[in-house]
Formats: sequence, C-alpha cells, structure tokens
Amino acid sequence: MTVTEERPTAEQQGTFIRPDGKEKVTGLGRYTADVNLTGQAHAAFRFADHPHARITRIDTSAARAIPGVYAVVTHEDVPENLYGGMVQDRLLFAKDTVRWEGDVVAGVAARTQAIAREAAAAIVVEYDVLPALPDFVANAQPGAPLVHPEWTAYDADDDLSREGNVVGHSTILKGDVDAAMETADVVVTSRFVADASQGAPIEPRAILAQWTGDRVTVWTSTQVPFAARDGVAHTLGIPQSHVRVIVPLLGGGFGSKCDFHFEAHVAALAEAAGRPVKLVFSRREEFLAPDHRREGMVLEFETGATKDGHLVARRATLHLDKGAYTGEGGFFAQMAAMHACGPYELDNVAVRAMLTYSTNQPSSSIRAPTAPQTCWALEQHMDQVAAAVGLDPVELRRRTLIRQGSHGPTGQVFDEIGMLDTLEAAVEMIGYGQELPDDEAIGVACGWWPSMASPSGAYVKLNGDGTGTIVTGAQECGTGAVMALPILAAEQLGMRPDDFSILYQDTDAGPWDMGASGSQTTFNNGRAVVAAAQEVRAQLLQMAAEKLEIDPADLELVDGTVRAVGAPSTSVTIAELAGTGTPLLGKGSGDLPENPPTDIPSACVGRLGLDSFLAPQLITHAARVKVDRETGVVRVLAFAAAHDSGVIVNKIGADGQVYGGVMMGIGQALSEATYFDEEGRQRNPGLLDYKLQTASDGPRIDVRWIEVDTPNAGPKGSKGVGEPPSVPTSGAVGNAIAQVVGRHVTQLPMTAERVWTTIQDVQEEAK
Amino acid sequence: MSIDITLTVNGVSHPLAVDPHASLLHTVRDQVGLTGSKEGCDDSECGACMMLIDGRPVNACSYLAVQADGAEVTTVEGLADGNDLTPLQRAFLEKGGVQCGFCTPGMLISATALLRDHPRPTEDQIRIALSGNLCRCTGYDGIVAAVAAAAEQG
Ligand code: FES
Ligand code: FES
Repeated sequence: MTVTEERPTAEQQGTFIRPDGKEKVTGLGRYTADVNLTGQAHAAFRFADHPHARITRIDTSAARAIPGVYAVVTHEDVPENLYGGMVQDRLLFAKDTVRWEGDVVAGVAARTQAIAREAAAAIVVEYDVLPALPDFVANAQPGAPLVHPEWTAYDADDDLSREGNVVGHSTILKGDVDAAMETADVVVTSRFVADASQGAPIEPRAILAQWTGDRVTVWTSTQVPFAARDGVAHTLGIPQSHVRVIVPLLGGGFGSKCDFHFEAHVAALAEAAGRPVKLVFSRREEFLAPDHRREGMVLEFETGATKDGHLVARRATLHLDKGAYTGEGGFFAQMAAMHACGPYELDNVAVRAMLTYSTNQPSSSIRAPTAPQTCWALEQHMDQVAAAVGLDPVELRRRTLIRQGSHGPTGQVFDEIGMLDTLEAAVEMIGYGQELPDDEAIGVACGWWPSMASPSGAYVKLNGDGTGTIVTGAQECGTGAVMALPILAAEQLGMRPDDFSILYQDTDAGPWDMGASGSQTTFNNGRAVVAAAQEVRAQLLQMAAEKLEIDPADLELVDGTVRAVGAPSTSVTIAELAGTGTPLLGKGSGDLPENPPTDIPSACVGRLGLDSFLAPQLITHAARVKVDRETGVVRVLAFAAAHDSGVIVNKIGADGQVYGGVMMGIGQALSEATYFDEEGRQRNPGLLDYKLQTASDGPRIDVRWIEVDTPNAGPKGSKGVGEPPSVPTSGAVGNAIAQVVGRHVTQLPMTAERVWTTIQDVQEEAK
Repeated sequence: MSIDITLTVNGVSHPLAVDPHASLLHTVRDQVGLTGSKEGCDDSECGACMMLIDGRPVNACSYLAVQADGAEVTTVEGLADGNDLTPLQRAFLEKGGVQCGFCTPGMLISATALLRDHPRPTEDQIRIALSGNLCRCTGYDGIVAAVAAAAEQG
C-alpha cells in the first residue's frame, strides 16, 4: 500500500503559503497587544532601583491613593513560592533582596497606562544598597561574596553544582591531555571575551489576564505556553487546570520569550483589580526586564596539533555569566563545553565550563544558547592553529572534522552525517581561494547543534466534508514549523495541506509540548502529527474496506479518496466516509529517539542529556568581508551557508531560518551587544544603540542543504533547523576580518572600534 | 484638554477627540480600532508602525494625531482590495517575506511607497528604502525578493 502522492506538493514547488499568512499581510491578525477586553486595566511594574540591595521598606499607600489606581501588588499579596527552571531561586515580587536592575518589586493596575506608570513611581521603596557583583569571573572564585547566600536551601536539579556562585560546573575529560600536549608540534593558546546580547524580537511582550471565578485565562506573547501555564499555577498556588494560556500571533522570540516570565504578575494584578489587566512592555522594558539574554563569556583555549594537521589535545576554560537567576539556563555550562570541542575528532580533552551568578540581567536561551560565542572563539582559535602548523584553515578542518564512524569529544560514534559536505559546499559557494582586493578576505567556520528529543502530542480529526483539523500543543513563533505540520498530515492521508486547519497555542486544547524552543517542533511535534494521522488513516482504511468489501491492505489514500490499488474506480471519498458522522479522530506522540551513548562517564559533562548530540545539525559558514582600514568598519559582502539538517520538510520555511539566522549572526558578529556599566545596569536598552542589522547591511546569502536521510531523527529523516544558522556565523566573519587585518579580534561583537584597535596594535608591533 | 479632528483612515472619515500629545499610532489603534500597525519601539527606530499620510510613509508612533487632521491616512488594512491581496502582499507570502509578521505591516507600507515612486527599483534601492524597517526573522532576503517580484508584475 502506498500513500504518497506523485504530484508535487505546494511546498515542493516552492510556493507553500503559510496558513497564517493572509491575516499577517492584511493586518487583521491579532497579536497579544492587539487584544482588548471590556473593562481592562493597564499594568506597570516598579523595578529595582539598584542592581543589588536589601529592601528595608515598601510603602504603597501613596500609589494606592492616586485616582484611577485599581490595585497595587507586592510580595505580600502572592504566595511565597520560589520558582525557576533548574533552581528555584526567584520570587514573583522581590521580598528581601533585589539582585539585578530588572527585579520586579511591585505591580500596579490602573485605568490607563500613564496612571499605572505614575503610581509605580509613587511607591516608596527603601533599600540598604549592597555592592553590585557584575564580574562573573571573579564571582566564580572561592570565597567570593554570594549573589544568593541562602541558595543551598533552594530546590534545584540534583545535577547542578552549588559551589559558591557557580550554578553549573561541567567538564569534559577524555584521554591524557598533559601527555598528549607533549607530543604536539605546536601548542596554541588564545583568549576571547564575548559581550552579552539580546534576542530582541520586534514585538515587545504583552500579557492580558482575565479571571472567571477561580480560573484565569492569560493571553501572552510566549514561546512556551505550557511552561507559562505551569509557572502561573505554581507561583499562585492553583491547579494547572485553573490556568488557560492562549497565545495570539507571536511576534518573534528567538529564545527571549522562552520560559515563564510575567504571566503570574499580571494574573495577580487582575485578581486584585477585579478586572482584566493588560501589560505591554515598552522597548526599553523589553531590553531591561526579561530574565533572558545571551550570556557574556570569557573563553580560553589551548590546542596541541601536529604538523600534518592532527589535533592531539584540547584544553579550555569557559566562564559564563548566569546573571541573577537561573531560569531554564542551568544547562549552559554543559552546552558550552560541547561547543568548546566542536564537531572535531579529539582524543584528549580537558574542558571546564563554569556558569556563575552575578547581579546582571539573567541570561537564558537565546537562539542556540552559548553556541555562537563559543563557536566564534573556537573557530578563530582553529584558524590560529592552522596558521601555526602552516596549513590552510579549510585544509585543517578537512582533516579534523567528524565524519561517519568518528568518535566525538565524549565518545559518541557518529552515524551518517554531512559535516564534510557542508564544508566543501560552503567553500565552493563562496569561491574560496579567489583573488580578492587586499581589503577583502574570506573566512570559514564550522559548528554543530543537537536535535532535542522531547515528548510532544497532537490530535488529528476529520470534518464531515473531508477536511481536517490538527490540534497541537506546539507553538509557532514565526519559523513556520507549526504552519508546515499540515504537509505531514496530508501526506499520510492523501489530502492536501490546505485541507487542514490548525488549532494551536491554547493549553486547554492541545497536548503538552515544550514550545517553540530548541528547534524541535518539526522534530518532535511532526512525529506526533504523523502518528495521529496514521491513526486516522487506519480508521479510514477500515471504514472503506467495509464499504467497498476489500481488504484494507489493498487500499490506498490518494487525492481525497480511498481507492483500490490498481483499480482506482473502486473508491470512496474521504468526505463520504467522514460525512457519516463516525468520529475520525487520531492522537499521537510517536516514539522518542534516544540520545546516542557516550564512552566517558556522563557525570563529567552532567546528566542533562547534552553529553552527546542526537541527530546533530552540522554547519559550515563562509563569509567574504571588506574591512575599511581607516575606520575599522566591516561589511559582509557575500555569505554562504551549508547545512546538514537532515531531510528538509518545508524548504521555504527552512531557507527563511537560514536567512534570518545568518543576519542575526552577522549582527552578533559586528554590532549587537548589551553594554553594562560598572554596576551592571544596561547602557544601551534601545534599538538606536543596540544595533540590529538592516536591509541595507545585508549581504547576498547563498544556502545549500546537505540532505542526509538521518537515522534516529525526526519525520522523514529530518533534524532541527532554526538555531544552527546563527552558530558559526560570527566565527566565519571573524576569520575573514583576521585575514585582512593580520590578527584576530578578541572581543565580540567585533565593532568598528575594536577592529580599528586591532589594526593599530598590529601596526604598532610592526614598527 | 482634547482637540476635535477628522482622521480619514483607509477612505473612512472618523471624527475624533484626541489629546494634543496623542500619537497617530495610538489613536488609530485605540480609537479607530485598527490594530494592524504595530508598536515595536515608540521611538522611530523600527518602522513597525509605518502608515502613509497623503501617500508619504511616516512612523506613526512619532507623529501626532492632530498633525494628521484632514489628511488621508493609509494603514496596512487599507492595502488589499476587499478580500483580494495586492501583488505585493501575495509576493510577501510566496517569497518567504513573512515569518512572525510583526514587521510586515510596516514593511508593506514602506514597499508600497517605494513601488509607487520607483516602479522598477534596483535591489540596492529596495534595501535602502526598507532600511528604516527592522525585521528580526527573515534576514530581509524574502522581503527584498518579494518587492522585486511585485515590481516585475507591475
Ligand atoms: S513603533 Fe514607530 S518606529 Fe518603532
Ligand atoms: S517577520 Fe518577524 S520581524 Fe519580520
């Protein structure tokens, strides 16, 4: 029996129109800030007045007295339930201590946003100011003052360390590094510093909460509706069944809208105000208040290599800034340790990564957390190794990248992978080796990223006219991953993708899902949709078999009909079967692929599932840049991105992830940084000073997919797509800059000023 | 104190009483009830709020409602002809110019103004014309391709 259609599907023709497209181009679609309810009040927060201080007094009476104020809420008005993804280290409203400038001390609900802001400012908060602790490297030293002195009493994931301020301490120890270094022809050491950066979605977050009896509905711009629901239930001490989270259209996230954020604050305000309450962040608040930004890092590498281009040993020490609270980012030390090895064959490894509290804005998942900075540093270091052994950087990678049968840094043995193919494709697309003017050069960088297996579920049901509806817990953040689910259902059922509507982003409707994070929607929810559609297919085949009096094994589903194989006129339409009123309803989750085994004790790198990379996504980027030696200004002229993301399910969506991810990566390479003052306050919380790339900055980007039909992966042999496009981008740009200026820029972003300074240093030394 | 004005939005006149400091963006979103134009920054940094005023693209967050008194205002909701998308809107969908869609209303307004002034823009002209509209999702590639494709179709 076959169920595949021969005619090309819309997405194969490259014209897959996303089901949410029309509402988006007409302006009729509703994002959270566009939703209003009768009688709604507006919320504003009072944030901490110091990055680190003990609260001695909170007096809300003046704020409450302002006409138009409906409610003021502080820690006294909500249960004292600590929360946090991997360490329960945070309260909704600060009680005794504020630990960063975005800590919320109080919330106000008022008739207008202006009144709410005025009232928030009128709350009297008195403090004993404590020394700020912004230096995460110093905070990792034994005896450093603690950001959370009481934290051994917190609930936390058992696999996290609790050494002073160090939240996560991960090591990868393999072979005998000391002995191996002795055998190296060259040993290269490098040190790099990466600034913090931001997800910076164009939609600032918005939340609207309304109580009906003792249940609350929250409309929110989250990437993870189930985590948001669970957070509201936990912090307010109510059952999950009393919280419904609905996500209207989501205006991008890039990780910054992962995790539970402000939903419970707004729900608490709505309860106190006795009316719906809406919070819409200003752009400044969108920079300052989320406990989610890309972590600053300090990275030191030492690699021993032989003249013939063999990496004999690697040492690395990585410091990562956790900021004030852990959130879901507790795994970062492990992730960074894996990226400090990279997709290379390494027999002797000693990598140590420390994720450390500070009184800075908390860091948490931003598109491929820890990878772009670590890869930027490692790939520049690799070019330095290549120079030291006298090999072309591409040739060194050719000799050292993982391939089928390679043992990865933790002993994972790789199945069929396209790593080397991505290298050759990127090199070819960019025209590596061509003659260039002396202010231009090409840089190449490689990277990797795991596919994340997570439970996920979906329902598929058919309507009486033969159309269908997919009900899923998955979340769409713009990538098109949810939009592409009908392609998978349609294939199973001999229907067309546009026969399906999708009900999603409503926690009362769809089964649990981890949300739009980890590039895993197609990987996991795609599998669930296929499984659910297969149940419906079995039901259709059974019904048709009875009606046509044919064995189900001799039937196929094609073009909206069930028909006999080889005798297409013996058929019944799906509409006819569905129209009988018999429920045609499937549910599925699919079998979860297991992480590949490792051959070093997993406790070294931690037990959070990242010591091996399931269905690894493999990437090579190549950038051609032009450097203005007078000013240090860098322009990326052309870019080539070659990716092994397995088989591509939705080409137009996947291409879009690369274009967007590469531009984000170029921003991270050249212009994007959150700068803190010496106390850890953001100095540039606005889009004028935090510079995103614009349309006129953009180079031509060539994309090639190395479609390896990957075993132990997602539907059709697919892997993830969304995060890898930002991983090696800044490394490729950095290596290109270094080719022009004669030295690697050691700070990220590689701003004009830093490039210029590097040029000056080189010239000084030449004198 | 409020001021009486008449805002003509997408061909429909709205007699309104507005605060003198109310922005055109807030007035159109909150009083006229058209929420297609987005607020990404409220500070002329992102272009998500863009509208046409007598055919000229402006950042409506930084434009007073009273300044638009008597003018013809076009928002993203006014581009399509009933249920029929414009070639530009269709091209945005077909070329991957829309992901999260939050920048899309401003992009469409900006591109509409460009195509009216330059029916056959070069790629550089397109990129420069759209450089006041930030998009975090698409890397601009699909958007630039969409504008070029719409220009092709005239
Ligand atoms: S909201 Fe007007 S330019 Fe950003
Ligand atoms: S499509 Fe998301 S910001 Fe442009």
